[in-house]
Amino acid sequence: MTSPLTRRAWLGAAALGAAVAAGRPWPARAQGHLANLAPEESIAETMKRLFGGRPIKDGAGLISIDMPLIAEDGAAVPIAVEVKSPMTPESHVKAIYILAEKNPRPLNVKIGLTPAAGQAYVATNLRLADSGPVRVVAEAGDGALWIASRDVRVTVAGCAA
Amino acid sequence: MTDIGTVKLAVPGSVRRGSVARVRALVIHPQERVERQGGRSVDRNYRFVNRIVVTYLGREVAVIEPSTSVSENPTFTVPFRATETGPIKVTFTDSHGVKFEGTAEVKVT
Repeated sequence: MTSPLTRRAWLGAAALGAAVAAGRPWPARAQGHLANLAPEESIAETMKRLFGGRPIKDGAGLISIDMPLIAEDGAAVPIAVEVKSPMTPESHVKAIYILAEKNPRPLNVKIGLTPAAGQAYVATNLRLADSGPVRVVAEAGDGALWIASRDVRVTVAGCAA
Repeated sequence: MTDIGTVKLAVPGSVRRGSVARVRALVIHPQERVERQGGRSVDRNYRFVNRIVVTYLGREVAVIEPSTSVSENPTFTVPFRATETGPIKVTFTDSHGVKFEGTAEVKVT
């Protein structure tokens, strides 16, 4: 007996699905569906999706990450990030990405900054699913990328999604 | 949570002209996380703050795009260079398209 779902039919359905997804079928008030969220993927896939093959330099001397070594509650882990930058229109950090390696969807947050910020700094609270590195990528106005990372031990997982 | 959408902003009492100050913004919001059943994500319209815009004197300072893995009652601290006395405004928008705004006056001396 042949399968009712042929390869051709499956490919057609997949193509239609991709087209619908590209056309943003959800209105502004319904952006919380899985189709509008970042996909569940590994950190390597997220980095590739965000930055393609662009070179990322070691930013350990440039980026400081203030986080507890041991986070008792993974549902709210404080983080403060500062990137050394003059924040002038010619030379500024235009985006800071915070990524948790062990989260099913590794990108926690993207922070876009303008020179009016005067400083490349952000502080917030993250959900962390498990112990592991938290990576911070800073993107300069000219597109250059730097990365730094910090290991955090999580006592009670934050069930981050 | 009856007070969903309450926005609180904290800025210094006064700031020296030209110096960099920081605003801390918080919104009371469930910031729902993706549920899983049998190892798979459940598809529904999750409610979480996915865009935050910070403006000072009407000019954009920061645009933040949080995911579901930012904690409940999202809070962000961002800097701004204080040039004149005026308002700093933070607008949180969630995935259901609802906006929550807060404004604070920055006194520059």
